[in-house]
Amino acid sequence: MKNFSEWISTTFLSLFIQNNQAWMIPAIQSVHIVGISVVIGSILMVALRVLRLGWMDQSLAAVQSRFFPWLKGAIIALAVTGALLLVAEPARELMSFSFWAKMALIVIGLGIATAFVSTVGRNEAVWDDNRLKQGSIKLATVLTLCVWVGVIFMGRLIAYDHVWGSLSPSNHSEPNK
Amino acid sequence: MKFTDILNAVAAWPVSDYIRGALLAFPLLESAHVVFLTLVFGTILIVDLRLLGVASINRTFGALESDIIKWTWFAFSGAVLTGVLMFITNPIVYFENVPFRIKMVLLLCAGLNMLIFEQFTRRKYNDFEGTATAPRPARIAAVLSLVLWTGVIGAGRVIGFTTSHVAVALPPAAENLDFDDFLTSDAPAPAQ
Repeated sequence: MKNFSEWISTTFLSLFIQNNQAWMIPAIQSVHIVGISVVIGSILMVALRVLRLGWMDQSLAAVQSRFFPWLKGAIIALAVTGALLLVAEPARELMSFSFWAKMALIVIGLGIATAFVSTVGRNEAVWDDNRLKQGSIKLATVLTLCVWVGVIFMGRLIAYDHVWGSLSPSNHSEPNK
Repeated sequence: MKFTDILNAVAAWPVSDYIRGALLAFPLLESAHVVFLTLVFGTILIVDLRLLGVASINRTFGALESDIIKWTWFAFSGAVLTGVLMFITNPIVYFENVPFRIKMVLLLCAGLNMLIFEQFTRRKYNDFEGTATAPRPARIAAVLSLVLWTGVIGAGRVIGFTTSHVAVALPPAAENLDFDDFLTSDAPAPAQ
């Protein structure tokens, strides 16, 4: 992974961002944060409808179709800006525990979202408000929110990977920008 | 008493001292700050897009706003609390930091924009009942809101690159620097 990081950091794109990093890194990170806002806002709204805490004048299917196109678009924007950040500073990401924990949580979160979309699509009538009163559905919804909050925590902790101690693959021989 | 004296007194508070010294406190506060601020912007975005007639147009503005704004205020309170707790670890550095000042001015402008919208625009047009797209003053408020909050995010991100979050002396850049010693000491690594 270390050699791979070193190779990425010699590519044209990586060098270009490194040479302009004073403004490019914060700019890409800011776009990344705007994308996260769309994701967390959309997830919260669908969760509120499932928990019957909002959007009660709309069906669950209607709320889902309002937010999932935005969620999808934001995920694509996040993948692009995230990839740019990875290419710019490969060792910072690939040699950190937080980054891989974040990736694992994203896989779980996207898995839940995909399963949710196909279930709601197939059984629209089944997702009536009586079904939504079930405790298991409420618990699953809260856990889903926790997964995405965890993604944000792991993302920010990439900058502080030393907090993981021996779990962090980085040897901390350099400041971890 | 000069303002810098007050800031110095704040920096000497036990809670400031604790956050500066604890390994996890600042990183966790910053992570929570990101959760709260993305919730603030994410929820404001939904309301602004409704005003612009882009999304949620099958709902009235009033219904949408009453579902969402409480979450915006909850998240904003969390962002302020975590922000203050980070600020007091190093108040003079932040106060003198230009991106920090820009962020505060942008926050103030976003607040004024919201105040004008809530006190005048909404009342004048009776919550824009029955219209997909809100009238021009409300659309201007929505665009201003999106621009100002994006600016808050951008300026906020730059703060991390123009300050060191802990007022500690880093190990001297000696040729034979022993990194193992650096690691086992309690000196936090600079982070952004």
